[in-house]
Amino acid sequence: MASEQEIIKMVNEVFVESFEIDKAKLAPEANIFNDLGLDSLDIVDLVVALQKKFAVTIRDDERVRNIRTLGDLQQFILTIKKEIGK
Amino acid sequence: MKRVVITGLGAITPLGNSVEAFISGLERGDNASVYMPEWEKYKGLRCLVGAPARLENEMLIPRQNRRSMGRLSIFAVQAAQQALGDANLPASTAGSGRLGCVIGSTMGSAESIAEAFETLLPDNDLSKLTSTKFFQCVSHTAALNVGQFLGITGTVMATNAACASGLQAIGAGYDLIRTGQQDIMLCGGAEGLHPTVVGSFDVLFAASSRYNHSPKETPRPFDAARDGLVCGEGSGILVLEEYEAAKKRKARIYGEIIAYNSFGNGSHVSESSREAITSCINETLKRADLTAADIDYINAHATATIQGDKEEAAAIRQIFGEKVPVSSLKGNIGHTLGASGAIELIASLIMMEKNLIYPTLNLKDPDQDCRGINHVMARQEKKIDILLKNCFAFGGINASLICKKPA
Repeated sequence: MASEQEIIKMVNEVFVESFEIDKAKLAPEANIFNDLGLDSLDIVDLVVALQKKFAVTIRDDERVRNIRTLGDLQQFILTIKKEIGK
Repeated sequence: MKRVVITGLGAITPLGNSVEAFISGLERGDNASVYMPEWEKYKGLRCLVGAPARLENEMLIPRQNRRSMGRLSIFAVQAAQQALGDANLPASTAGSGRLGCVIGSTMGSAESIAEAFETLLPDNDLSKLTSTKFFQCVSHTAALNVGQFLGITGTVMATNAACASGLQAIGAGYDLIRTGQQDIMLCGGAEGLHPTVVGSFDVLFAASSRYNHSPKETPRPFDAARDGLVCGEGSGILVLEEYEAAKKRKARIYGEIIAYNSFGNGSHVSESSREAITSCINETLKRADLTAADIDYINAHATATIQGDKEEAAAIRQIFGEKVPVSSLKGNIGHTLGASGAIELIASLIMMEKNLIYPTLNLKDPDQDCRGINHVMARQEKKIDILLKNCFAFGGINASLICKKPA
């Protein structure tokens, strides 16, 4: 399984590849909507891109609704990967 | 009724990504047809020649606009930007509620539609589809994207009548302005080149297949050795404006639209009908209060299909005899389908301005059944005060438009 740092790096890659966001903006405290500029359509695409990148199914996971910052998302993916790894 | 004039032009074409580049290509007599090696993998596709436009500068469109655009919408947005700039209208006009757009295409982005099915079908899995793919695939994709990109708050509408889409869009914009519903309209068409589109003609034996290894020799409108059309792509957008307002702001006027008409043939879904084309042109002349003798130039639809060209030639022969010069630009840019009416009208307006006619490229020997009309086979200087543009589409839909030189 990928290390924690590798997973965080892969999450950040999605923001660069799918949403053309400058790497320098990808701080854990960055708000996905206000700081990174994603909107409702982008969230759909973010889920699609993450599912592909990590081979997971998160579309109907209730916890997605509580994600606000990039750090929240990184932690969520780490949790999901751990759950799968169990 | 209000008078409607054309005050801005924008074009992305197989001969270049501006009106100037397009006209320079016509001046040189260039043919944009090239061999398409990437189409070799499609079984049963006989036509391996296309007339592609160059996709460039798309990254200048902000991501949140670009994400809903397929290839044809990018072309449409770029052509619309050019047209607005050419008309010297401030960008703020778009949000006035008095400016609208009508832009047609044969279908949504063929490339995006293919990608959507390639994503969806292998596992029958909808969760892999991105949110904006739908907006690239819908039939009004060019209109919606131009509307969103420019911030248009007036009428936003699409015409989808295959190869007559572009001219129908201009006709719809003309109606909206002359009835006072809108003051300024961005009108035209857009199309993306894709093997599935070429295939739709190829299965009907309407696409060129004998010139795969000599692509510059095809398409050959009206010629005895023609063997079908070559698909092209791009976008043509024109700014239509109410005459008094255009005059007041001292806008450059390319021409005045004095009549438009679109009729169905009611007889066959794919075969052109000389009777229906004749009826369509005659009704357009009637609406302009003109006779055949008043027309100085006809920009033909003539795509180089065996059946279509002979029916158009027969209709022109019946109405105009050999008096009026006729040329088709398909030999230069292929058939840009839903964009063709707009792109070719743009060239026709420039011809009217310059008082010259670009010839039908690759027309060397007019076919027996295309004779009896005044084919322009070499660049010809001629005073043009009034021109007729034809477009005919699958589904038996014909359209004609008449423009007059500004007084």
